[in-house]
Amino acid sequence: MPNIKSIKEPYPPGDFAIWIIIYVELVTFGLLFLGYAFSRRSNIEMFNESQLLLSQTSGFVNTLILITSSYFVVRAVQAIAEMRQESIEASNHTASKWLLYAILCGMAFLVIKFSEFYYIFGEGITLSTNKFFMFYLMLTMFHFMHVMLGSVILFNIYKKTKISGYTPNDYRGFETGAAYWHMVDLLWIVIFPLVYIIR
Amino acid sequence: MPNLKKSIRTIWIMLVILTVFAYLLGYLELINNSLVAILLITTFIKGELVIDYFMGLKTVKLKYRLIPLIWLGTVISLIAVAYYLPIASV
Repeated sequence: MPNIKSIKEPYPPGDFAIWIIIYVELVTFGLLFLGYAFSRRSNIEMFNESQLLLSQTSGFVNTLILITSSYFVVRAVQAIAEMRQESIEASNHTASKWLLYAILCGMAFLVIKFSEFYYIFGEGITLSTNKFFMFYLMLTMFHFMHVMLGSVILFNIYKKTKISGYTPNDYRGFETGAAYWHMVDLLWIVIFPLVYIIR
Repeated sequence: MPNLKKSIRTIWIMLVILTVFAYLLGYLELINNSLVAILLITTFIKGELVIDYFMGLKTVKLKYRLIPLIWLGTVISLIAVAYYLPIASV
């Protein structure tokens, strides 16, 4: 008798195209992470001094927010995956509740990050101030745009759950949006220690 | 399914604990050479938890799981190399 636990799904959840996008995004961000890490070696003092202008607390809070939003998205996916023909409305309703929490977390992240950018630009810092801020602004603004896009995607999924648009046979789009959101979370999990903590 | 919900909650709690640990290292200015290694290992663990349990890749064919895991391992390892490799004096 085959062991059920050992049977693996042939493909990852969601549209296969999103996984190609995710893998490409990971490589792109990975190069920026390494660019930051190796550039730091050329002027460690300047990197450490510049880092003092960042708020570790806002980076920490934003990490908690993204991790929690990812948790909410998983709960939403679970609600949809458990759906039966007779519970379409209830499952969509439950998923919409979790998605709303996740979207609110996304909004909170954007507000905190925006206030951080506001402070940094208020100090007269730009991309050309020094290498630290060049990498900091490139990494975090690029990531900021991904959070904005992810929030829009989650909002569109949320709208569809409000009209019970997902069925037991059709929720691939839901999983696709969820996978993208988890990628955004994964990237921030590396950005937080790299840019805010390590010195 | 209740077990799955419970395990996802456990994963989330682990992620929160590891994040608090990273923050305290920075906030209390405890970061030093050996703690950077521990911080990078905890970052790898956090990433692995997201890849396996949030993205759901633990239950799919190994090759799809290995791509982000190898990415994560490579990035974290090279960050460690950049941090620990002695800087040649001119």
